[in-house]
Amino acid sequence: MNPELLRNLWLEANPFRLSLIAGLLLLVFAASSASNIATPAGAGLALYWFFAVLWGTRSAALSVVAEIRERTWDSQKLSSIGPWAMMWGKLLGATSANWFGALLCLPFILYPPWRDSGSAAAITYGIILLALGLFAQAVALLSSLMLIRRQTGNWRLDTFLCQVAGIGAAFAYYSLWSSAGAFERTIGQTITWWGQVFNVTAFHFASLLLFLAWALTGCWRAMRAELRFANGPFVWLAWLAYLCLYDAGFESEIALRMPVLLQAGPVVMRLSLAALVPLLTCYSMAFLEPKDPVRLRWLGEQLRAGHLRQAFLVLDAWILSYGVTLVLGLALAACFAASNLSRLAFPVLAMLGFVTRDLAIFVLMRTMAGGKGDFAALAIIAALYLLMPVLANGLHLSVLGVLFLPAAQNPLGPLVSWAQGIGVAWWAARRIGASFTSR
Amino acid sequence: MIVIRDLVFEYPGHRALNGVSLAVERGAITALVGPNGAGKTTLLRCMAALETPYAGTVTVDGLDTRSSPRAIHALLGYLPDFFGLYDALSVRRCLHYAARAHGIGPDAAAGAAAKAAARAGLSDRLEQAAGALSRGLRQRLAIAQAIVHQPRVLLLDEPAAGLDPQARRDLSQLLLSLKQGGMTLVVSSHILAELEDYSDRMIIVDHGRIAGGQTITLKDAAHTRVRIVLATPRPDLPAFLHGMANIEVLADGNMRALVSLSGDASERAALLAALIQNGFAVAEFAEDARALEDVYFAQVKS
Repeated sequence: MNPELLRNLWLEANPFRLSLIAGLLLLVFAASSASNIATPAGAGLALYWFFAVLWGTRSAALSVVAEIRERTWDSQKLSSIGPWAMMWGKLLGATSANWFGALLCLPFILYPPWRDSGSAAAITYGIILLALGLFAQAVALLSSLMLIRRQTGNWRLDTFLCQVAGIGAAFAYYSLWSSAGAFERTIGQTITWWGQVFNVTAFHFASLLLFLAWALTGCWRAMRAELRFANGPFVWLAWLAYLCLYDAGFESEIALRMPVLLQAGPVVMRLSLAALVPLLTCYSMAFLEPKDPVRLRWLGEQLRAGHLRQAFLVLDAWILSYGVTLVLGLALAACFAASNLSRLAFPVLAMLGFVTRDLAIFVLMRTMAGGKGDFAALAIIAALYLLMPVLANGLHLSVLGVLFLPAAQNPLGPLVSWAQGIGVAWWAARRIGASFTSR
Repeated sequence: MIVIRDLVFEYPGHRALNGVSLAVERGAITALVGPNGAGKTTLLRCMAALETPYAGTVTVDGLDTRSSPRAIHALLGYLPDFFGLYDALSVRRCLHYAARAHGIGPDAAAGAAAKAAARAGLSDRLEQAAGALSRGLRQRLAIAQAIVHQPRVLLLDEPAAGLDPQARRDLSQLLLSLKQGGMTLVVSSHILAELEDYSDRMIIVDHGRIAGGQTITLKDAAHTRVRIVLATPRPDLPAFLHGMANIEVLADGNMRALVSLSGDASERAALLAALIQNGFAVAEFAEDARALEDVYFAQVKS
C-alpha cells in the first residue's frame, strides 16, 4: 500500500473515530425517520456535505499545512514517495474518516432517485456527489500547496482559506443543481456550447469530471514542485487554453448579457470571453504566488544573459497568465479596431496597461512588505479602481477618471494606463535589483 | 563526498551564503560551527537539496543538487534543528513508515525499522507513542528515522540542542558508531563542547562565509598529536625530541612538548620508551586532540 496512505489511515481512520461516526449517523437517521424534521434523504445530503465538503476540505488542506506546522514536511520531501503517490496518500488518507461518514450517507440520499427515476439516475447522482466531494477536497489541497509557498506561518488562516476555496468550488458547481429534486428536473434540459446543443445533465457531469481531472493535475504538479521536480510551463498553458476554450463556448450567454457585442460578431464575442480567463488568473495567481524578489532577480539575470529557454521553463503562473492576457488582449483590440466597434479597442488597450500596473504593484508591495504586501497591494488596487474615480467625480474632476478606469472613446486612455504600468514596473524592477544587505 | 563551489544563497533582503566553497570528506564527521544566524542551517539545507542556490554548485556523491535533487534525497538522511514526529503513532509505526517512505519494501520494512531502533537504542520502546517520549528519546527516534534506509550521508542540524549530559553522551556514541559503519556525517552546532567528542573536521561558518576559507582537520587518522609533560625540567628535552626520527615537534620547552607522529601505536610506545631510557621523568604522555574552542577562535580571529 502507498506508505503515505497507510500512515494517514493509521492516524485518521482509527477504530474509535470510525465507531463514533457510525454511531452518530445511526442516531441522526433514526431521529429523522422517527420525526418530521427532515427526511432521511435530506439529512443524508446535509451530512454528506458536512463530511465530504465542509470537514473534508479542512482535512485535505490540513494534510499539508499540518505537516509544516508539525515540522514533518522536510522529512516527507526527502522521502522517496513520488508526487503522484504523495498526492493520493494525502487526498484519500487524510480524508479517510470523512469518506467513511460520507459513504454511509450515500444509500439514504440515493434511495429516492433510485425509487422514482431508476438505477441509472441514482448511479449518475451518486457519481456526481462523489466527484463533487473529491473536487472540493482536491481544490482545498491544491490551495494549501499553493499557500504554503507563501510561508505565512499562519496555519489557521491558511487552512480556513483553503477550506473556503474548496467549499466555494463545490458550491459553485452544486448551485447548478441546488437539490436532488432540481437535479432530476434538469434531466431533459439542454445547453448550447460552441453552437452545439447538449443535454444539460450530461454537460454538467462531463464538466465536473474534467474540472476534477484538472484539479488533480494541479495537485500533482504542485506536489512535484514541493518534492523538487521541475515542472515547466506547458501544463499551465494547457490549463489556460482549456479554460479559454470552455469559457468561449458560452458566447450565446454573453450575447444575452452584452448585446452590443453582437455587432462585432461571434469571433469577438468568443475572444472577449476567452480573454477574461488569463485576466482573472493573472490577478489570482499574482496574489497567491510568492513573487520572491530573489527569484525574480535571478530570472532577470537569465534574460539579460540570453538564457531565454531556461527562464521560460521556470516562469511563474502569474507571468505566463500575463503573457497570455497580453496576446489575447491585443488580438481583441485588433478585432475591435477592424470591426464597427473600433471605439472599444481603446478600453481594451487601456485595460492591458492597468493590468501591467496592478501586477507591478503586487511585486512592488512584495519587495516592500514581504507576504503582507499582497494584502497591501489588494487594498491599493481596490482604492485605485473604486475610491479614486469616486473622489475625482466628487471633486468635479471627472477628466481624471481616465487615470483610474479604462475609458471608451478616449485615445489618451491607453497612453495614461501604460505610462502608469511602465512606471510602477520600473520601480518594482529597481526594488528587485537593489543590492542585498549581508547579515 | 560533498563538494560545494562558490555557493550563493539569498533570502529577500540579505545574502545568507556568500561564495561558500568547501569539501566534506567521505566517512568522516564534519562539524559545522558558527554563531546563530551564520548560515549553518541554510548551508545544510542546500546540501540536502532542499533549497536551490542562487549561484554556485553543490554536489553530493557527484550529483548536482540542481539537476538531481531527488537522487540526492535518496542518498541522505537529514535531521532539521526543529524536527517533528507523528506523536500519535508508536515508535514502531514511525520507523515502519519512515522505512516505507524511503523505498524499503513492505516485507523488509519491519526488519529495517527494528534495526534502526536497535542502533538508536529504542528497541525497548517500540510500542510507546512518539508523543510520550522524552526529549532525548525523541531525538533518538528522529535520528533512527533518518538512518532507517542506511543513507550514505547524514546531515544533523543542532542534534544535541536541549539534551541532558547523558543523552548527549549517548548521541556522541551513536554518531561515532554510524561513522564506523561508513556513513559521512555533517553536524551543525553553535555549542563547541558537544562536537569535540566525535568530530574529525570542522568548518566555521561566519556571516555567510567559511572562516579561514577551508576545512580544518581536528583528528588526522594518519598522525597523532602527543602531549609530553615532565615531572622535573630538562633543558635538553627539545634537542632530544628534534633528534628523533619520524617526529615533528610542534611546541617544546624544558618541561612540556607537543609532538606529531604517525598514527601507529608502536611509534608512540617507542617514543615513550626512548624518553624513559634517557632518564626523562615522564609525568604525562597523552594524545592531544585539538581543543575545538582554541581552533575556532584562532580561525575566527585570523
